[in-house]
Amino acid sequence: MTGPDHPFAALLAEYVAECLPLAEEVVEQSLTLERAWRDGQQADDLFRPLKGTLHTIKGNSAMMGLTGLQTLAHRLEDLWGVLADEPASRDAGAALFVRGTGLLADLVRATASGPPPEGAATDYLEEVGAFLVSDRGAREAAREERRSPDRRTADRRNPTASGEIGADGAVATIRVDSRRLDALLESFGEAMIAHAGLGEAMRQLNVRRRSTAEMAQLERAMLGLDRTLKRLEGALMETRLLPIATVFSRFTRLVRDVAHSEGKQVRLEVAGGETRLDKTVIDRVGEPLVHLITNAVIHGIERPDERLARGKAAEAVITLRAVQRSDRVILTVTDDGRGLDPEGILRKARAIGQAPAVETPSLAEIYALAFLPGLSTSEQVSHLSGRGVGLDVVANSIRALSGNLSVGSEPGRGTTFSLRLPLTVAVLRSLLVEVSCERYALPLADVAETVRVHPEALHQVARQGMMTWRGEVIPVMDGGLLLGGGAAQSRRYCVVLRSAARHRGLLVDSLLGHHEVVVKALDPSLGRPPAVAAATILGDGRVACILDTGRLADGWVEPVATAAS
Amino acid sequence: MNPGTFLVVDDSKLHHQMYQLIFSRGELAGSTLLHAYDGRAGYELFMAHPELTVVFLDLNMPVMNGLEFLHRRQAERLHPQVPVVLVTTESTAEDEARGLEAGAWGYLCKPFAPEQLLALVGRASSRLSQRIARP
Repeated sequence: MTGPDHPFAALLAEYVAECLPLAEEVVEQSLTLERAWRDGQQADDLFRPLKGTLHTIKGNSAMMGLTGLQTLAHRLEDLWGVLADEPASRDAGAALFVRGTGLLADLVRATASGPPPEGAATDYLEEVGAFLVSDRGAREAAREERRSPDRRTADRRNPTASGEIGADGAVATIRVDSRRLDALLESFGEAMIAHAGLGEAMRQLNVRRRSTAEMAQLERAMLGLDRTLKRLEGALMETRLLPIATVFSRFTRLVRDVAHSEGKQVRLEVAGGETRLDKTVIDRVGEPLVHLITNAVIHGIERPDERLARGKAAEAVITLRAVQRSDRVILTVTDDGRGLDPEGILRKARAIGQAPAVETPSLAEIYALAFLPGLSTSEQVSHLSGRGVGLDVVANSIRALSGNLSVGSEPGRGTTFSLRLPLTVAVLRSLLVEVSCERYALPLADVAETVRVHPEALHQVARQGMMTWRGEVIPVMDGGLLLGGGAAQSRRYCVVLRSAARHRGLLVDSLLGHHEVVVKALDPSLGRPPAVAAATILGDGRVACILDTGRLADGWVEPVATAAS
Repeated sequence: MNPGTFLVVDDSKLHHQMYQLIFSRGELAGSTLLHAYDGRAGYELFMAHPELTVVFLDLNMPVMNGLEFLHRRQAERLHPQVPVVLVTTESTAEDEARGLEAGAWGYLCKPFAPEQLLALVGRASSRLSQRIARP
């Protein structure tokens, strides 16, 4: 791989500038080809030039020492050879080819921020290998492979290099084992907790003795430490950010596979792949996205004939988009399928006794019900989606990342799932509150406002607390009832929580201010208390729960004790 | 090895930049580099420059590929003293034979290291100076 010692390392940007349009052209043409073949056309005029383009990409990758890309381009050429020689292989081979070109383009694109990791295409290469071997033309291709000098070079140049050279010839980037970054983060977390402890001790000290010169000096030192830790945090988080494209790249293939086995025509469009997220989030968001996309193809999208009958294009489009909004990243999965069925959802919710308390629930409220366990609207069970992978499972894994999931839909027009994710999961800006002498942390991103409670603003409607807030009537929950501290007559503050769809108030005794808290995962043996997302250690060494504000705001958490009003 | 005049015929801009990088260093720094992005344009430059030290000719190109370039040059007996190096990504023994038959002086297989290219230039220019020295 292109390392600092590679003679052409300085030309990496030029490589991407030249090869990305070529790779995108290959993707475009292979898709057109696949359609043409499906319609029984030969399309040779389109097919022949493809080989030349692949060959150029291979040559350029080889020169840059990008052996992974070189091998992938080479295998695509092999595959091209089989498709060219044996039209009978096109039924199965075309899809494989299309997927490979997509992967090629993704990897070339990713090279802009450094050579793609080794083995990025391993799965695909194995698949192509199997396909070629199972095919007659394969033996020839395999022979070709053996005598190809590219392969020998690839082995000889087994890369150990781990950096990139900048314009001035100094090492500009270094590749580091991600476990080292995790260890660094862990130590940083400890430092944050120690810092909070120091701050708490100082506060105590300050209360007892009035300010002295030493105290002032200590405070200045503390302020300096504050700033340094802030900068350190920013720098540390920055090292952990990766473009989401690394996850997106697998979905082209997924969509093609699922659509193929479902007899549907679906195209995946991707936007915002350059949006960056913490490595931990990237690692863990893949699975939920797989479920959402699979569900969209299987349940959301209609069969081609049905689509045509509704005046839609036979080919459906699923759009995967990422945008950053302050310290959150929003991922959306949008399909142009049939949309959710509000009546169906409501019927099912009633059947399992989970209908909303309100007489005429809003569409948003109905759609939110889709995330309840056991409320999959699909009647079918498909081998790909398993048991139709409940949305509750997806929502749970997003919540485990301190994110939340919401859905919007327009009957007949399509459905959009939105995932709001934190940029990072290690340190959380939160609001500390006290309820019945216990402290809790609320992620600041989910706090709309804190207000002083005026008893006359609180109402009881159908045993549900309500409050007028900014001209809107919102449900309020008593923190004590919710968290097990028992009801209290007079909580002084209300924290207005927001989720994508709604606002909800949480009554608390006091507000303790904004803090950066280090997120500690809960021991799985504890189970997951419904209102709690994780825990943290406060400055005085006490453990505080980080509340699952998304869940609270959506009203999924039942009070621990029944209201004794 | 002294700086000289080199013609690069390749449809990849990236490759032109690579040649530029190689020829900007060491003994060959100060060489003149001529650039063509397809075989036909390359051939026109080739016609106009009998003083070329070495031609680097890509095999796969639009308009006129490397082999077509060589065949035409063979037919027209144009500048036989100029060594033409055929550059390819793949080379089998047959490929190589076909290139040499068409009058290629040498073969360079991608990926190549700058040293390989320089060694080839060294060999080509010593051959050239021998020729010139011979009355």
